Amino acid sequence: MSRIDLLIVLIPALPLAATLVTAALGRRVLGTASHLPALLATATAFVLSLVLLFDVRREASAVPTQPTATTPSAGYERVVSLWTWANIADAYHGLDVKLLRAGNQPAGELIGAPGTGGFNFSIDVALRADPLTAIMLATVTLVSMLVVIYSIGYMHGDPGYWRFYTYVSLFVFSMTMLVSASNFLLLYVFWEAVGVCSYLLIGFWYQKREAAAAGMKAFLVNRVGDFGFALGVFLIWVTYGTLNFHDVNYHDMLDASDATGPAKVAVTGVLGTTRLLAPASEAYVGGAIGLAIALLLFVGACGKSAQFPLHVWLPDAMEGPTPVSALIHAATMVTAGVYMVARCTPLFLAAPEASHVVAAIGGFTALLAALIAVTQTDLKRVLAYSTISQLGYMFLGLGTASLAGITAGMFHLFTHAFFKALLFLGAGSVMHAMGGVIDMRSFGGLRRKLPVTHWTMFIGSLALAGVVPLAGFWSKDEVLAAVLDKAVAAGEAGESVASLYRTLYWGALFTAGLTAFYTFRAFFWTFYGEERIPPEAGHHAHESPANMIGPLAVLAILSAFVGWWFAMTHGFARLLNLTPSLAYAPLQPEHAAHGGHLTVAAVSTLVACGGILLAAYLYCGDRSEVRALARWFAPAYRLSYSKFFIDPIYNAVVVLPLRGLAAVSYWIDRYVIDALVNLCGYLPLAIGALLRPLQNGVVPFYAMVMVLGMLVLLVGSLLG
Amino acid sequence: MTNLLERLTAWWHAYNVYVALVLVAVGLYLLLPRRRSWGRAAGAVTSVIGMGLLAARSPAFAGFFQQGVFWSLAAVTISAAAATVTFRNPVYCAIWFALALLGTAALFFYQGAQFLGVATVVVYAGAILVTFLFVLMLANPKGQAYYDRISWEAWLAAPAAAVLLGVMTVALARGLPAIDPAVPAGSPDFPVPAVSVARAMSQPRVEEILATDHMAHLGGQLFSRYLLAIEIAGTLLLVALVGAVAIVVHEQRSRATVDAAHPTAGHALTPAALAAGRTQHDSQFAGAGANIHE
Amino acid sequence: MNEISLLQNYLFVGAVLFALGMAGFICRRNMIVMFLCAEMMLQGVSLSLVAWGRFYNDWGGQIMTIFILTVAACEAALALALVMMLFRSSGKLDILVWQYDREENQAPIVDRELPEEPVSDRTHWPELVPAGIEPDQTKLEVRYRRRI
Repeated sequence: MSRIDLLIVLIPALPLAATLVTAALGRRVLGTASHLPALLATATAFVLSLVLLFDVRREASAVPTQPTATTPSAGYERVVSLWTWANIADAYHGLDVKLLRAGNQPAGELIGAPGTGGFNFSIDVALRADPLTAIMLATVTLVSMLVVIYSIGYMHGDPGYWRFYTYVSLFVFSMTMLVSASNFLLLYVFWEAVGVCSYLLIGFWYQKREAAAAGMKAFLVNRVGDFGFALGVFLIWVTYGTLNFHDVNYHDMLDASDATGPAKVAVTGVLGTTRLLAPASEAYVGGAIGLAIALLLFVGACGKSAQFPLHVWLPDAMEGPTPVSALIHAATMVTAGVYMVARCTPLFLAAPEASHVVAAIGGFTALLAALIAVTQTDLKRVLAYSTISQLGYMFLGLGTASLAGITAGMFHLFTHAFFKALLFLGAGSVMHAMGGVIDMRSFGGLRRKLPVTHWTMFIGSLALAGVVPLAGFWSKDEVLAAVLDKAVAAGEAGESVASLYRTLYWGALFTAGLTAFYTFRAFFWTFYGEERIPPEAGHHAHESPANMIGPLAVLAILSAFVGWWFAMTHGFARLLNLTPSLAYAPLQPEHAAHGGHLTVAAVSTLVACGGILLAAYLYCGDRSEVRALARWFAPAYRLSYSKFFIDPIYNAVVVLPLRGLAAVSYWIDRYVIDALVNLCGYLPLAIGALLRPLQNGVVPFYAMVMVLGMLVLLVGSLLG
Repeated sequence: MTNLLERLTAWWHAYNVYVALVLVAVGLYLLLPRRRSWGRAAGAVTSVIGMGLLAARSPAFAGFFQQGVFWSLAAVTISAAAATVTFRNPVYCAIWFALALLGTAALFFYQGAQFLGVATVVVYAGAILVTFLFVLMLANPKGQAYYDRISWEAWLAAPAAAVLLGVMTVALARGLPAIDPAVPAGSPDFPVPAVSVARAMSQPRVEEILATDHMAHLGGQLFSRYLLAIEIAGTLLLVALVGAVAIVVHEQRSRATVDAAHPTAGHALTPAALAAGRTQHDSQFAGAGANIHE
Repeated sequence: MNEISLLQNYLFVGAVLFALGMAGFICRRNMIVMFLCAEMMLQGVSLSLVAWGRFYNDWGGQIMTIFILTVAACEAALALALVMMLFRSSGKLDILVWQYDREENQAPIVDRELPEEPVSDRTHWPELVPAGIEPDQTKLEVRYRRRI
């Protein structure tokens, strides 16, 4: 028990210590050994995360998986409250919040109502350990460790070596805190912290104009999402009266005159056990407010996870170093939105329309990004759009609002972290060999030069494409199955919802084909055909060093087996479903139809293989058909190649009006407000100009003025 | 001494009519046309004084005589003052100012302030004014200076002076008749402190201030009641002395540097050399004066 | 002449002296004459003080006048030293020479051109010569000197 408490604190603390050490000593003392603290911290954190995972699994197994009438299940959680961050006295006056009381107290009654004394609103720095957090921690620390090892080779010789590892350590700290925070405010803080790390790492080579601009763009686009998230947090506080996920017990808060009151008060957390076990209609607010909360949270998730209206920053973020793209912009940070939506499942269930929006946006983004990825020529951008597309899949799974769908979405997050990190690191290896060139038009046929990279990326591409039995197949397949189940289940509720999910299913299936096509298009283009090496490569064009190849191999093995292992044993789902938010009663009855699985699996495999074969046919040869196709479908090609003109549209609709407003504001500031200020400045000047002739330096004149004044006084006193 | 004064006064009261007659006669003689015409002015003065003495004998003219003495002194003072202000030549101004001082001193005597009368003559006329004259003559520009021939905004200064005078006269006329023995002290019409007015109006007046041992009283007051003030005044004099010396020494030093810069100036202490040096000096400081004519 | 009319008369004379001195102080350009006028104002005040002292039968008026004398002496000493220094710097006794301490960008007060002074108005101005030097002698002086 106490071991979990210790672990959950240690895991974020180690990267923080690494950050401080690297920041303090990196430049002067550590130098080229700056990776050591980060390596040590992430490796230890990974080992501790594994220990934590097994501990949590052991503890959670003791909780009954199925709730019964006598033993309600609300999963397993363990909260460590470190210290009280803020304490606001009498915060609940005049606020109609939905707090549930512990024990046999009537539900929905306000704690601190008249007669019970004032009640403080306190924000604790509280960390939690539950299956969801444990899985996220293990994923994050594993990928981080591998990326840290990989970067030793990749960033070798960079003047900002120590800076890179400072930022990476800081990111690992922020991300581990994000997934273990047990409080919306803390979650928000580290939500912003990972955003800052992302900004710092995208703009790592800040001398490059594009990198600096990309960092800025990522930060600003995220600001839109974060604003929605912040509003959602405010609304949660106003509605539920707490920001904690967990229940908090306060002793002796009620006075003795309350006859029925125990000497113990529970502030039921938004995702706390008490609330989860209470009847849903009492525990959660539905209607417009519930919908607003869910949608505002989803806006935040959209920003961080690059979903459709706010997805524009992620492709540009590829200006950062490739390990950063692998770690932050593929495997971990961008999945924070998915994590958050999964964590807040009860809130989304309280407003079913919100789930539909999540599913629709996810599915649409998946398709849109896949369509764009088909024509991109920059290897990393193809992968970036692929990431957006896969994140769309995850949201699609979450949007089904069924236990199977959410589990599938999280499972896809889990597997995607491995094979997408693998693909990015492979792309980094290619880039390393090609002297920084990443445009696929410049090179080709590299399979002999980069054999290990070739094979690992082949595995990664197969996993992404969703070929049996690699990771992507299992998770994507589960998402598709969950969507289809939802469509069937929704058919009973209403035709429009059912048709929505059916459309999403077919769209997702088509996207799966596209995914296979663009993945292998990039793969064949890079590694097959005539061998071409750009002049920038020089004599670099050879396989990367061992510390880069090693992580590739590890990730390739993981990509190959992790899906199969967890899907066959159902270990992932069993563990994840013990998370309090997912062990939520309304989710449980929907355990029905698993019948369609085999059909879905067969269809999706067929589609994926079709995509691969098409790519092989088009890109393994001289690619004359590609040019012909591009000519035939010129408008569609241009639309896809120019990313559906979303950036220019944003520029015209958002950026230019804002610039105009800024120009108007500048004009007003310059010529109205400054003019007023200047007027205030000129006023004394004008008075001075009026009075200045009085100071003419002539002594008799001064005497005269004095005498005249005296005379005025005298005559006045005489006449008055 | 007192005895002698009393006897003289008694003698004067007894015989002044004869003296007056003699004076009138001599004056008339001198005035009358004679072979030699000198002394006509003296004759006029003598006869006027004699007639005045005679007129003073008459009860009807007694008050007039007293007033006449005052008014003639006042007239002398005021006209001398006017001349001081109006004359162009500064030296004449200073001389006229000396006359105004003498008139003031006489008025002090008339008021019974003998020490002040003497002190004014000695300190002012004897010391200050002479210093002024010295300075004037040392600082003698060649010829009549243009700035002595023009005034600064006389059109404003003259009315201002007139209005000031008018104000003060009107205040006198309005304020003083109220000090009337009939009006009880302390009433709203009677703004003057009651005790002092009562003292001023007490009958018979205790003529402290006109006491015969005037000087003894004044000195006693100065060194008892006003001792601190006297000490401060002495310190002030010392400070002024040191200050004047400091100014002059500083100025001498700056002149020395100027002379060092122009070795030809000031070697031979002849008037011509001085004049040459001064001319050079003037041209050197032409900048200071030039802004008037720039 | 009773006490009140005496007081009134003295106050009147004092007022006249004060007003004249004030007018002179404002009008006259020669620094030394300006100081003479200031001294005249002090005289007017002194007269008034003595008259009031007589009226109230109090020594205060005369004592105050003694202090006025003292201050006037100090003032004269300092003022004359300063005037000498100013004259040495500019060669003029004109107070308007020293208007350079006016505000910036203010046009200086410039005298209009005066017509040449008629010869009849010219007066002699006695001049002191530093000690130890025999003064220059004009023919006129030589002629008068013989008669001494």
